[in-house]
Amino acid sequence: MSLEIESMVRYASPINPAVFPHLTLLLLGIGIFFTAWFFVYEVTSTKLSRDLFKELLLSLVAALFSGFGILFLLLWVGIYV
Amino acid sequence: MPAMGKMRFCLILLLHIVIICKSANVDTISSDVKFKNVDRTIDIASQLVKITSKITLENSGKSPVKSFLLAVEASAQSKIAHISVKDANNKDLRVTETTVQGYNNVKFWRVELKETINAASTAAVTAESVFTKALQPYPTAIGQQEDQLVKYNGNLYIYTPYQVMSQKSNIIMNTKNIESFTKVKPFSQQDGAIQYGPYSNIEPFTEKELSVHYKNNSPFLTVTRVERLIEVSHWGNIAVEEIIEVEHTGAKLKGPFSRYDYQQDHHSGPASVRSYKTLLPASASDVYYRDTNGNISTSNMKVKKDSVELDLRPRYPLFGGWRTHYTLGYNVPSYEYLYHSGNEYLLKMRVVDHIFDDMQVDELVTKIILPEGSVNIKINVPYPVTRLPDSLHYTYLDTKGRPVITFTKANVVENHIQDFQLRYTFPRLLMLQEPLLVVGFLYTLFLCVIIYVRLDFSIHKSEHQHKE
Repeated sequence: MSLEIESMVRYASPINPAVFPHLTLLLLGIGIFFTAWFFVYEVTSTKLSRDLFKELLLSLVAALFSGFGILFLLLWVGIYV
Repeated sequence: MPAMGKMRFCLILLLHIVIICKSANVDTISSDVKFKNVDRTIDIASQLVKITSKITLENSGKSPVKSFLLAVEASAQSKIAHISVKDANNKDLRVTETTVQGYNNVKFWRVELKETINAASTAAVTAESVFTKALQPYPTAIGQQEDQLVKYNGNLYIYTPYQVMSQKSNIIMNTKNIESFTKVKPFSQQDGAIQYGPYSNIEPFTEKELSVHYKNNSPFLTVTRVERLIEVSHWGNIAVEEIIEVEHTGAKLKGPFSRYDYQQDHHSGPASVRSYKTLLPASASDVYYRDTNGNISTSNMKVKKDSVELDLRPRYPLFGGWRTHYTLGYNVPSYEYLYHSGNEYLLKMRVVDHIFDDMQVDELVTKIILPEGSVNIKINVPYPVTRLPDSLHYTYLDTKGRPVITFTKANVVENHIQDFQLRYTFPRLLMLQEPLLVVGFLYTLFLCVIIYVRLDFSIHKSEHQHKE
């Protein structure tokens, strides 16, 4: 039932640790851009010009990029979650 | 409640295993087996006692012999840390602990031979045993400038359940400063070693005191406790951290300690320990060495071809009875120790790693922290250890906690640096749980903002509505 060590392959990270810094900067950059756009939109739009769909979409993109960016930031600095 | 039930089940299972182990192994002493020749080397140059016995077994009976017994006398039972036997081809033989009826005070091991010994033929094996705390400092307290003298008390003959036709012992202490030693003819003494024997026709279970009192300034360091933490991350890293407590268990320091004398003369304090070397795996990186005060800067790291050598210098030299406490940690890439096939993973790592040469560890606790969501955990350890109840560990981005496997072992020496194998199942998609947790948190924050801007807390009506 249990596999032998010979039939197994060495496990490496799905993402090469060497690209953690680049991924962090890229993802977090995009994330911060969308976060900024979202907040600027929130404070400048009025009750009439506000579009719920646009708000939800902007915040989702911002959350996705920032979330993955923060994860790679943690990995980059050595917090292997 | 289910956790409690699980724990109780584990305990009952453990108890069962213990009972089975205790009752199953009862052996008898075969009168057919004889030791034709025994050549013992007793190495007492370090703080450990290492006995290597080259034994020539003889089958004087009529039926073939498949196994034989090794024994340790009552006085040395608490001191034996490791025993292993190799055959003539240098292959390890299976050694299992056993008991013999009528000899309750003696500890026995049964050695299973690869090839049976036929009647009237012989076989050669090499038995290696390591004893800790078998060297007593005598005097028990010395001044700063004095040399350390220790006393070894052992058995002049090999302690065995079989008759020994001929035996010799060679005691190595690497010093000419021998105060006294047991003199039983024939014996000879030459630079740093004493030869005893040959003695012929010694009866089974013969004990005769062998005592050597000599100078031994090698480091008498005992690791009173080491906690080894192995944290596996599927993002490609294994973090190892060792929390180590060290005590100098040689002759105690008598009188005051003069830092001036110690610094002035390099030969001052011959029995003290200034520094020692720790070997880490070759792939170790991000090494740290610190205690409760912070980083200990008096250390050096050398990256060698097959290891990373750390030269650790505690904050103060260690004299007899002095102790220190520190944390040593490093990272290794996962591909060195972690194997997988689909969702099945296997971690193959050392149970305990090198701390210093000829180390003795009183208590070892090894903890393995697996990624959150690992199931079907099975561990395989090369020698018996005590498994402690599993627990959970909480760290960054955890929800229900990471499973922790813990086991402990007392009286550990260098021979115990062997690999354990830990198998577990981890669904790969679970790796996305951590980033999605952050994404979810941020999105909730944004949703709160969206809701907040729609709320109106003003007490007077806005002017826009008037205009409409």
